Amino acid sequence: MYQYLLKRIFIFIPTLLVISLLAFGLSKMAPGDPVELFLRDRSGDVERDLINADRIYQETARYLGLDKPAFYFSISPAAIPDTLHAILNPIHQENLRKLIQQYGNWPQISGWYDNIRILEYEMAALPPALATGTPARNVKANLRQLYVNYQDHKISSLLGQIRQGMEQDSLLKQSLAAGFTDLMQSYQRVKSQKTRQLLYVPDLKWFGLNNQYHCWLTNFMRLDFGKSYYDNRPVADKIADALYWTILINCWALFFSYLIAIPIGVFSAIRKDTFYDRFITLLLFILHSLPNFWIATLLVVFFTTPEYGMDWFPSLGLGDLPKEAPFGDRFLERSAHLFLPVLCLTYGTLAFISRQMRGGVLNVIRQDYIRTARAKGLSEQTVIWKHAFRNALFPIITMFAGVLPAIFAGSLVIEVIFNIPGMGKLTVDGILSRDWPLVYALLMITAVLTMAGILIADILYARFDPRVSYSSKK
Amino acid sequence: MLIGVKNEQQLAEHLKQKEQLNQSYGAIVRRQFRKNRMAVWSLRLLYVLLFIALSADFIANERPLYCKLDGKTYFPVLRQYLVDVGLAEWESQFFQKSWHEHNYERVVWPLIPYSPQTIDRKNINYVGPGESQRVRSTWFRHWLGTDQLGRDVAAGMISGTRIAMLVGVISMSVATLIGVLLGALAGYFGDDRFKISRIRLILNILALFLGFFYGFSVRSYALNEGHFGWELTKSLGIIVLALFLANLLARVLHRYPAFAKKIVIPMDLIIMRIIEVFNSIPALLLLLSIVAIIDTSSILLVMAIIGLIRWTSIARFIRAELLRIRSLEYIEAAQALGFSEVRILFRHAIPNALTPVLIAIAFGIASAILLESFLSFLSIGVPPDEVTWGKLLNLARIHPSAWWLAVFPGLAIFATVTIFNLIGEGLTDALDPRLKE
Repeated sequence: MYQYLLKRIFIFIPTLLVISLLAFGLSKMAPGDPVELFLRDRSGDVERDLINADRIYQETARYLGLDKPAFYFSISPAAIPDTLHAILNPIHQENLRKLIQQYGNWPQISGWYDNIRILEYEMAALPPALATGTPARNVKANLRQLYVNYQDHKISSLLGQIRQGMEQDSLLKQSLAAGFTDLMQSYQRVKSQKTRQLLYVPDLKWFGLNNQYHCWLTNFMRLDFGKSYYDNRPVADKIADALYWTILINCWALFFSYLIAIPIGVFSAIRKDTFYDRFITLLLFILHSLPNFWIATLLVVFFTTPEYGMDWFPSLGLGDLPKEAPFGDRFLERSAHLFLPVLCLTYGTLAFISRQMRGGVLNVIRQDYIRTARAKGLSEQTVIWKHAFRNALFPIITMFAGVLPAIFAGSLVIEVIFNIPGMGKLTVDGILSRDWPLVYALLMITAVLTMAGILIADILYARFDPRVSYSSKK
Repeated sequence: MLIGVKNEQQLAEHLKQKEQLNQSYGAIVRRQFRKNRMAVWSLRLLYVLLFIALSADFIANERPLYCKLDGKTYFPVLRQYLVDVGLAEWESQFFQKSWHEHNYERVVWPLIPYSPQTIDRKNINYVGPGESQRVRSTWFRHWLGTDQLGRDVAAGMISGTRIAMLVGVISMSVATLIGVLLGALAGYFGDDRFKISRIRLILNILALFLGFFYGFSVRSYALNEGHFGWELTKSLGIIVLALFLANLLARVLHRYPAFAKKIVIPMDLIIMRIIEVFNSIPALLLLLSIVAIIDTSSILLVMAIIGLIRWTSIARFIRAELLRIRSLEYIEAAQALGFSEVRILFRHAIPNALTPVLIAIAFGIASAILLESFLSFLSIGVPPDEVTWGKLLNLARIHPSAWWLAVFPGLAIFATVTIFNLIGEGLTDALDPRLKE
């Protein structure tokens, strides 16, 4: 038994690591520049000067831990330097990577990149009278384009346009000539001193523990999930708030479905093949197949809007009675708001559980010891409830684990439709507002909770069913 | 002599009968399946749905099936196919007016004379099925109402049928491919039967690594810039070549006993762990978080991703079946004849394990359709010009008084899902091993 438990927990850990890799990998592939996403609601429309903008960008990137390498190691061509992650802007980084893939000479390419930056800073330092002229603006726009272009013909034409723009204004030409010549020369060097052979040499780069994944995982263990891009609140706080609602509605739903499902299952099993049984089976089957988001939509459409005269339930959300209101009022208000969501969550689980319960009881009733019990002259009630029912309960316990993922998914749907601020609503809102730290923390937490649920169910099963022996598998 | 002949004839007949009984496993299954009336009716309804999906363009289309205009005969619906491939072009007169505005000499309209995207300006802002509609004849009524832009809901339902069927077929093809392969490996080899020589293992890992490195890491520029399909083929070719060379080298090096020593790989354990990982994340959540990071929304991609997530139940079915099959006599016979494990697996073991997979596929299609409808209900991952059941249902949330938007699309989802569930149940009953005797 304990050996089995240890083994289960031992298996639990690598599975979790794989899931964490999956979640982290997905979050790295998410679109958009994390720094921009983080800054978007804070910066407003203030046009900052270049130096300030650069400083803020770098500080934010460092704050978000983006100046670290992504993983413990990377395997890439030797031409790609192990410091490429220090280029904080992901768009620049990607562009440089493409340049390296063409020419393979990082020292020259890095010189080219530095020269673009130097020229940009020189432009920022120009006197305002000069900088606001049309030629200067054109030069600036073309210079910015150099950051995101990697094809030879495009870069050449951009350089040509910059030269033309500088020709139009002699003062501009004078102040930028030196920087521009350096830029041209560095590009010539990139093209002439190719080291493409480096592209074909595999190179393992070891970054050590100070990397983004390691930090993310260790923070995760300390329940620090980072900050939301959306409102800068700690993700952990947001999740804790949401978890309360999800657990609340799901506990009620589970409670009601077990409460109703078990008697239904037992009765239709002992009255097998009667009209009652057939009717219940059909009904449960229909309930099981009814898509819950359809039912939820129907309930919302017909019972919460005044259009059809059946406006019996308050509209979406949770109600807004203040905390000082008497408990009774608050309870009534909450119940009215939660009735429909809990109903939607209940009916599907209910159908599933009672079908299982029926099968379980039918299985047990065939056994010899039931026949023995009947032969002893025990009353039918005793046989059913004391012998059959108890033994049929075991599969229902394990099913608790099977129901868990379905519950999370189901409540995602219901929460979105009924506007309940639970985990599901949080996920969908996070996706729609591109709040990636939140979304992938939620993915991890849901997986952990589900796995923990399965583990607990297994332990319960092993603890309470004397027939299960885990000493050896075969 | 005579008696002997008679006996022989009897024996032959008896053997023939017995053979018929033995070979007709498929026939038994079919007979059992036919006993389940609900499942049979579901199958018939499924044929109807497939028919609607295939001929959607001929059922709901703003173009006439046949028309005569200025003395010339056209088959506009058919012709649209030619136009789409670039083999034909429309005359300018068809651009000047919409299809409904011409004065045809003779015309045959489709059953629903609207395309899913057709905007009927006279019936905008949610016109119900029973309300008075501003249409020129009964044929042009919006039988299931319209949405805010005046698009016909019935036409949208027909196009949604096509998408739903496509979701089922594509996602489950992907899922079956992965599930059968992984499940078969786990079930057939178990924890103790996958033996591989040391050198082959090392060389294959090395070749896989080098193949990926030279196929993808080095060539990522070419993959991004060149023609994607062609470059991808080249990259895959590099990997295959690397693996081939590795195995060739391994065969040569097998001469040395130190290299040729066998290692056992616990296939079952590894694959069951992978399945556990997939099962411990709710499919909907995983799907959402994968679809969210894709910039270009494409419904085909969503279908493929559903397949990538939902292969686990298929793998479990085939694993269980192969665990049974692998200890049967005919497999042992094949092994004794010296066939390679790969050949036994693919030629003899998997074909006999495929029937029960149908059950998993039927239930899988139902859940795939549900997943996709919910995604489009949230309008995540579905391009804006595609009309699906989920999207129509979502419109009802925006405008609750349009009850037809809440009822019909949901009913379609429910019916389709139920049909597949019933077929799945029927198959389960028909394939139940207890009934086989």
